Amino acid sequence: MKSKLMRLLTPVMLAATACAASPAQGAPIRVVTTLTDLADLTRAVGGKEVQVFSLATGVEDTHGVPMKPSFVPILNRAELLVLVGLGCEHAFLPALLEASKNPRIQSGQPGYVDCSPGIVPLAVPKSTDHSEGDVHPSGNPHYLLDPVLAKTAVEHIYEALAAQAPEHTAEFRQNRDAYLAKLEAKVAEWQQLAKPLKGVGFVSYHEEWGYFAERFGMKVFGTIELKPGIDPTPRHIEQIILGMKAEHVPIVVREPQFPEKVPAYIARQTGAKLVKLPIMPGGVPHTETYIAMMDYIIHTLVAAQPKPG
Amino acid sequence: MKFTRLIGWSSTLCLGAILAQAQETNEVEKLNQQLKQIRETFEKQQRELKESFERMFREQQAQIEALKRQLASATNAAAGLAQTNQAAAADQLKELNQKVDQVVEAQKKVRPSEFNPSIGFVGETVLAYRSKGSEATGSERRGGFDAFQRSMELNIAASVDPFAKGYAVINATADSATGEATLGIEEAALQTTSLPWNLELKAGRFFGEFGRLAYIHDHELPFVNRPLVLDRYIGGESKTDGLQLNWLPPIAHYTSLTLGLGDQFGDNPNNPGTYRPFSELNFFGRASTYFDLTPDWQLEAGMSGLWNPRTQDRAGVQVQPNGSTLTERERRLAGLDLKVSYVPLRNNQFRSLVWGTELLFSDNRYLFDPDGSLAPGNPTAHPGWPGLSGDEFMGGVGALGLYSYVTYKWHRQWSAGFLFDWVQNAQNHNDETSAYSPYLTWAISHWNQLRLQYTHTDHNAVSGLRPDDAIYLQWAWIIGSHAHGWQQR
Repeated sequence: MKSKLMRLLTPVMLAATACAASPAQGAPIRVVTTLTDLADLTRAVGGKEVQVFSLATGVEDTHGVPMKPSFVPILNRAELLVLVGLGCEHAFLPALLEASKNPRIQSGQPGYVDCSPGIVPLAVPKSTDHSEGDVHPSGNPHYLLDPVLAKTAVEHIYEALAAQAPEHTAEFRQNRDAYLAKLEAKVAEWQQLAKPLKGVGFVSYHEEWGYFAERFGMKVFGTIELKPGIDPTPRHIEQIILGMKAEHVPIVVREPQFPEKVPAYIARQTGAKLVKLPIMPGGVPHTETYIAMMDYIIHTLVAAQPKPG
Repeated sequence: MKFTRLIGWSSTLCLGAILAQAQETNEVEKLNQQLKQIRETFEKQQRELKESFERMFREQQAQIEALKRQLASATNAAAGLAQTNQAAAADQLKELNQKVDQVVEAQKKVRPSEFNPSIGFVGETVLAYRSKGSEATGSERRGGFDAFQRSMELNIAASVDPFAKGYAVINATADSATGEATLGIEEAALQTTSLPWNLELKAGRFFGEFGRLAYIHDHELPFVNRPLVLDRYIGGESKTDGLQLNWLPPIAHYTSLTLGLGDQFGDNPNNPGTYRPFSELNFFGRASTYFDLTPDWQLEAGMSGLWNPRTQDRAGVQVQPNGSTLTERERRLAGLDLKVSYVPLRNNQFRSLVWGTELLFSDNRYLFDPDGSLAPGNPTAHPGWPGLSGDEFMGGVGALGLYSYVTYKWHRQWSAGFLFDWVQNAQNHNDETSAYSPYLTWAISHWNQLRLQYTHTDHNAVSGLRPDDAIYLQWAWIIGSHAHGWQQR
C-alpha cells in the first residue's frame, strides 16, 4: 500500500518541483504589477528582459480590482510583484497573495516590490475609525498621479530588477536613465503647459488627485463621495453644489470607474465643466502609457479651465 | 699798420663781439621768451592738468558717493530679500515638519498595539415573522415574531511566524429556546504560508472546503438563511476538527485541489464514544476550476465529496413519522457547484450579476429499525446495543437537494436577488421541501448592511409539515479590522 502510494506520488512531486523551479537563465523576469502604470514603468526599465502582467487593465477602481482565480497561477509563477503600497491594494492583493502560494512575492520578501518607500504621504489620517470612511491608515496612496513622485517608483523598480538579474544591471540603468530623462523633459513641458491651472479648483469623485493638485498648483475643493468609499448623500451633494457656486469652482472630475449621473448633475447645477480623467494608463482610450496618460490629463484640464472674460 | 690792423681787428673783434653779444642778447631774449613761453605753457598745462585732475577727482568722488549710496540701498534690499527668503524657507520647513510629524504620529499610533493581532467584530441581528409555529414548520425557532442575535462574532488573525498564520472565530448565538447567548469556537486554526510545491495545510477547527457556500459564515451569505440542502445534508456550516491540505497544481490554468479529514463535518458531533478508529473520521475534498469567459464574465465550477465510513450515530436515532427509526451508520455526500458572474471591470463596485447553483446527492447508509425499538438518544452501536429487537437491517437512502440563486447589483449600495431551494429528506427521499426567497440588500457602507427577505416554504404531505411564509430583516455590521478573504471573491 505504502509503496503503491509512493509510486503514485513520486512523479507528481517531481513534476511539481520541475514546474515550480526557477526559470532558466536568460528567460525574461516574470513580473506582476498590480496597476497598469507600474506595468508601463516596469517595461520601460526592464525592456526585453522582463515579461510583465498587470492585474488591472486600467479601467478598474484601484481599490476594486476583481480577485479573479485566473490571477492565481500567474502570481504563483511571478518572480517579482510590483505594487503601489500605502494600502492602495488592500481590497484584493492580500487574498490573491495568500491564494498564490508563492513565498517569493509575499510581504517582506525580496520579490515584494513596494514602490512607496521614500514617498511622504499626503492626508495621513488622524483616525482610522470607520466613521471617516474607508481611509488608508498610511496616507493617500495615489502618488503616481504626480509625475515627479513617479520617479521614486521607477527607482524601486530598477533596484528590484537589478537585484533579480544583476547581469543586466547596466541595461536596466541605461533604460532607467533614458526613461527618467524623457519623463523629466515631459514634466517641464507639463509644468509650462499647466501654468493656467494654478489656483484653479476642482471637485473629483474620489480623493485621488491630491498629489497631482499639489504638483500643478490646483486646488482640490472636495470630493463627491461623502467619505472615502461612502456614496454621497443628497445633503452632501447639495453642499458641494452650494460651495462650488460660492467659490466659482469650474471643474468636476469624474474618474471612469464611477457612474456619471451625480458628477453630471453637479456640473449642470454649478455650470462647471465635467471632465473624465483616467487614474491609470488605459483608463480612457489613447492613454496606454504613463506619459500618454499624464499628457491626456494635463491637456484635458487645461482645455477645461475657464477662459478669461 | 700793425696798430691799425690791431685796432681794426680789435674793432672787428669788438664789433663782432658786440654783434655777437647783440646776437647773444637776442638769442637770450629769444631763449628767455621761449623759456617764458615754455614756462607759461607749462604752467598753463599744469593748471589745466590740475584742473583736469581736480575735475576727475571730483567726478570720481561723486561716482564713489553715488556707488556708496547704491551699495547702501542694495544692502538694505538684500537684507530684506534674505529675510523674505528665510521666512519662505521657514514656512516650507514648518510645512515639511508638519508632514513628517503626521507620518511619525501615524506610526506612533500603531506602536502601543504593535503585537496585537487583527481584531474585528461582527454583529448580526435577525428580525423575523413566521406565519406558522415551529411545530408546523420544523424550524428550531418559534413562529410569529422573533428577534435574535444570530451572530456575535469575534475574528482574530495574525501571523504566527514566517511559516504560518493563525486565526480564530469566536461566536455567540442566541439560543432558540432561552434566548441566552451560547459562546462557541467556530474556527481556530493554523494555516501554513510557505510550504513547497504549492501546498497549504490547515489544522485545527475550521470550516472544511466543500461546495461554494458551506464554509461561508452566516452573515456573509448572499441571502438571510443558509440554503436548506446545506442545512440538512451538511448540518449548517462545514465545521470540522482536523486537517485540510490544498494544492495548487503548477499549471497555467487555475485549478485547486483540497483533501481533508476531521472528526466531524457540520454542526452535529460524530461518534462520541470512547475510541474513534481511523474509519470513523470524516474524509472530504473538493476540486475546482475557473474560466474567464470574457474580461467581464467569469465561470467557476467545482465538485466535492464527503465520506464517513462509520458514522455510528451522528444525529442519533431518528424517529420517522411512521414510528420506525433510522440511525446513520455511513455518511456519503457528493456535490457539484457552479457560479457564473458578470463583473464588469470598469464599474464592478456599482454593477454585477451572479448566478450560483449547487446540487448535492446524499447517499447515506442507515440502520433501519422498523418497530422503533431503538429509543432516541441511545449510545452508539456495539454488539448488545440496548433496544435491538432483531428486525433491524442496513440500507441506503439516496436523496437530492439543490439551491440556485441570482443576485443583481445595480448600485454600490443596492442589490436584489432570488433564491430557490429544493431538498429531499436525507432519510426519506419522498419527503420534499422547497422554498422561494426574493431578497433586497442595502449595503449602507462596506461594514453596515440591511437585508429584507421573504420566504415561502412548501412541504409535501409526507413530511407532515405545513407551508409557511416568513419575512426576515437582517442587519449585519462590522467593527475593527476586516480582511477581504479569498472566499469572499
